Amino acid sequence: MKLDTTGLESFPTLLAPQNDVVGDLSAAPSFDLPNSNDFDGFLKEAIQMVKPAKGTTTLAFIFKEGVMVAADSRASMGGYISSQSVKKIIEINPYMLGTMAGGAADCQFWHRNLGIKCRLHELANKRRISVTGASKLLANILYSYRGMGLSVGTMIAGWDETGPGLYYVDSEGGRLKGTRFSVGSGSPYAYGVLDSGYRYDLSVEEAAELARRAIYHATFRDGASGGVASVYYVGPNGWKKLSGDDVGELHYHYYPVTPSTVEQEMVEATGA
Amino acid sequence: MSIFEYNGSAVVAMVGKNCFAIASDRRLGVQLQTIATDFQRIFKIHDKLFIALSGLATDAQTLYQRLVFRHKLYQLREERDMKPETFASLVSALLYEKRFGPYFCQPVIAGLGDGDKPFICTMDCLGAKELAKDFVVSGTASESLYGACEAMFKPDMEPEELFETISQALQSSVDRDCLSGWGGHVYVVTPTEVTERILKGRMD
Repeated sequence: MKLDTTGLESFPTLLAPQNDVVGDLSAAPSFDLPNSNDFDGFLKEAIQMVKPAKGTTTLAFIFKEGVMVAADSRASMGGYISSQSVKKIIEINPYMLGTMAGGAADCQFWHRNLGIKCRLHELANKRRISVTGASKLLANILYSYRGMGLSVGTMIAGWDETGPGLYYVDSEGGRLKGTRFSVGSGSPYAYGVLDSGYRYDLSVEEAAELARRAIYHATFRDGASGGVASVYYVGPNGWKKLSGDDVGELHYHYYPVTPSTVEQEMVEATGA
Repeated sequence: MSIFEYNGSAVVAMVGKNCFAIASDRRLGVQLQTIATDFQRIFKIHDKLFIALSGLATDAQTLYQRLVFRHKLYQLREERDMKPETFASLVSALLYEKRFGPYFCQPVIAGLGDGDKPFICTMDCLGAKELAKDFVVSGTASESLYGACEAMFKPDMEPEELFETISQALQSSVDRDCLSGWGGHVYVVTPTEVTERILKGRMD
């Protein structure tokens, strides 16, 4: 399959190339490849080095009022926490959101690329792209890079003419349509809370609380998730950020510390 | 992840004015999954001697049971408690006995010796002693702990100030480590009393 290189800048020249220097600029855009003796081995090593374990928790679900999307905000490198304030919900356009799990650079770059493609579609066809179409664009791009070490586990959530839409797309080339997804190392814990509390006819506040609780429980159990639980809602008028609560404070909000009853107390002895 | 990072741990001990403080996190995990948030890592040998064991939790518990056994025998024979320096040598010897199949723990020992002089030391998993005059650290968060302690430590702190310092150093370091945290456990020991406190921390 032809690799998608629309994300790279190209420099079209009007004049024919005069010499070698200008000749480079008018060549077809492509990613630079390293010149090493053992390209396959080098690529394998590079993949292993970059291969993150998708240490994160993101979730999204469709309900009566639209789509609820939530994520934590921790970035970890092995055991070290590199950041507690990463934006994992990416705003592709005012009515579509993407979640980030896996390699941060991969997710940010390809989501922005998807945003560009969606805008071009709007300009060319005079109508917004559907969530189905947008997720298919992304899935095809990722499939063309299959095996090269991209690490992307994303959910595309949006509202189009057919109503709310939610797709799971990953760097292995998979694309699934569904109503409830959770991605990342904390996803089993989030699924437990999400699946037991889910009803189709939740109100927006109830759904937001369910999403927040699910992320909180995942951050409690999973070491690679934490920071801030962000909750976004996608409705007929586009997405809106509902809350961003620090998970450390959420714990004591859900499970307040009650002062324990004193069993034995020492008092100063009076007198001689 | 290495075997030392299997359960996750963070331990620190600091010296103050005629007192010492020893603190640990409370998480027990299996790689990234958290199993317990009330795991005990600091153990009392006698009223003026504490040992905290970081690293593999099963080895920490087994090693502690062995040490308590040896100390009880010592108490019966010598009719007194062990001095911290002697205890440190005992731990070092026990660890080196297993030189070619070691316990995967790094102990931190803190006690009040002769004249109630504070004594702290740490060891690697083979028993190499490192005596320090100010603070010792151990565990998955040890690099962060070194930085935090270096910045926050002052010599000759009173027990209250020492408690604040060690708690802040512990909390800020474990907040940068995925594998430790979920609360804190601090013992502050002076010649007359032992204060045990549980810290409220970030539970993520």
